[in-house]
Amino acid sequence: MSKVILEIKNLVKAFGSLRVLDHVSFEIVAGKVVGLLGPNGAGKTTTINILLGVTNANSGKIKYFGKDFYQNREYCLQRLNYASSFNTLQGRITVWENLLVFALLYGLKNPKKKIEELASYFEITELLPKRFWDLSSGQKTRVNLIKSLLNDPELILMDEPTASLDPDIADKTLSLIENLRADKNISILYTSHNMDEVTRICDQVIFLDRGKIVAQDSPLGLTKRITNSQLLLTFDGDKVALEKYLEGEKQVFKFTHPYTVLINTQEKAIPKIIFGVSNLGLWITSIEIIKPTLEDVFLQIARGKDEHF
Amino acid sequence: MNISRIKAILLQELYITKRSLEVILDLFFFSIMTIVVFGFVSLFLTGNITGASAHYLILGLILWEIIRINQYSISVGALWNVWSRNLSNMFIAPISVREYLAAHMISGVVKTFTIFIIISLVSSLFFKFNIFNLGPLNLFFFFVNLIIFSWTIGIALLGVIFRFGTRIQALAWGSIFLFQPLTASFFPVTVLPNFLQKIAFALPPTYVFEAARAALVDPTFNWKFMLIALVLNAFYFLVSLWFFNYMFRRSKETGQFARLEG
Repeated sequence: MSKVILEIKNLVKAFGSLRVLDHVSFEIVAGKVVGLLGPNGAGKTTTINILLGVTNANSGKIKYFGKDFYQNREYCLQRLNYASSFNTLQGRITVWENLLVFALLYGLKNPKKKIEELASYFEITELLPKRFWDLSSGQKTRVNLIKSLLNDPELILMDEPTASLDPDIADKTLSLIENLRADKNISILYTSHNMDEVTRICDQVIFLDRGKIVAQDSPLGLTKRITNSQLLLTFDGDKVALEKYLEGEKQVFKFTHPYTVLINTQEKAIPKIIFGVSNLGLWITSIEIIKPTLEDVFLQIARGKDEHF
Repeated sequence: MNISRIKAILLQELYITKRSLEVILDLFFFSIMTIVVFGFVSLFLTGNITGASAHYLILGLILWEIIRINQYSISVGALWNVWSRNLSNMFIAPISVREYLAAHMISGVVKTFTIFIIISLVSSLFFKFNIFNLGPLNLFFFFVNLIIFSWTIGIALLGVIFRFGTRIQALAWGSIFLFQPLTASFFPVTVLPNFLQKIAFALPPTYVFEAARAALVDPTFNWKFMLIALVLNAFYFLVSLWFFNYMFRRSKETGQFARLEG
């Protein structure tokens, strides 16, 4: 059985009369990346803040490494860390000075060696003497990641670490996170609005909506819950016959071009449709099956069509 | 208490201080310029007023700077991290509030002592006022009492900043001046109206300033005043710690602490 790194039970948080977390429970096991998704105001950042101890919950239990967080704050924080594009390091002082301060906060025995090792790993050695506020967004993100690794954490909470990065730097950052996970077997709780990112790096996804967990599964498992797919057919032949056939089969469709039709259908009905179209004597020149993505799941939840979850 | 974590905060304070023109101006430049102005005023008064009262201003100012610099160091020290969106980073490291406060208190004393020595030398060299003539015992207890009082105010203000954020940040460097007249820093407490005298005698620095002015004539150590000041300081300091903890907890309950980022 996998070791449980983080266990949350019945977390409740309200700001005045507004309940932002409503009995949230989940766990993260060693070496897994769990995505925490949801529309704005869903409670993602509040969850992270409570898990870091910078916001107090109204009720609920948090256990890190089997120990109660509130009673063992120092022990727990020593073994986890945090990276976010939203909070930065001290701008006036250099990258080296910032990292040295954090290395001492985490009680490192040989801070110089550790900082140099990580700076080399993230290819920022030349940035160490620069003031933090002189760095680009991508460079700041990498320095933040270094800060989050100084104490060799077993768990990192990442709050939109690639927000505000251009696609190239975001991709490089994701690759670094993937390498980290592979090299050091770190568990990660990851929030992002970028569904491709989440699909790429997360083993499990938790959807929060208005403070409640509304779905929890692997990215593939979640997309499979949407049973509809889209079938894009390009054909040569009698368009009217095709229209009649699809109407007879009660399919929802539209022609995107005179000889290209987009059919919204159940995934299991796709073979039957292709077979039926072939039997009409049409020549199918191209078939494309567009499967639902995590973004479709997200949109369904965000738009309140989550009954079947 | 973990020494490494206290050292980390002290190191950050050192780095920020040496790289911030604002800190150098607010602490070193402002202190030295004020002592120069007050020094000339004292020189003028020495020529027109007889007795020790001509030195009340420069004496009051040197001692007042102990309060101002130490309180500024504690309250503004946290603001540097708030302005840099780095405060939550600090508190998600395993540092405790006690260690954080202890580091800022030590940092404040170091800065205060350095500036105290500089302005005392300036006043001695250029304005013929040597504060060290008050005697080491007097100076030690004056310094200790004023330091504890400024820790008290600094920590209480830190609690207010943690609770309400940067919208009240001006209090960090402005509110201390409320105590300048109330503690009779530059004049005998009898100058104050009766009701203000009652308030003044509830504040520890008043005893220090009164004892210091008396020591200009007779440097005999005033045990009674120093003891009252110490007892009052101990009381206010404990209240301040309680207040800070309350404000910190409320800040975490309302979510303000997590939002304390510029």
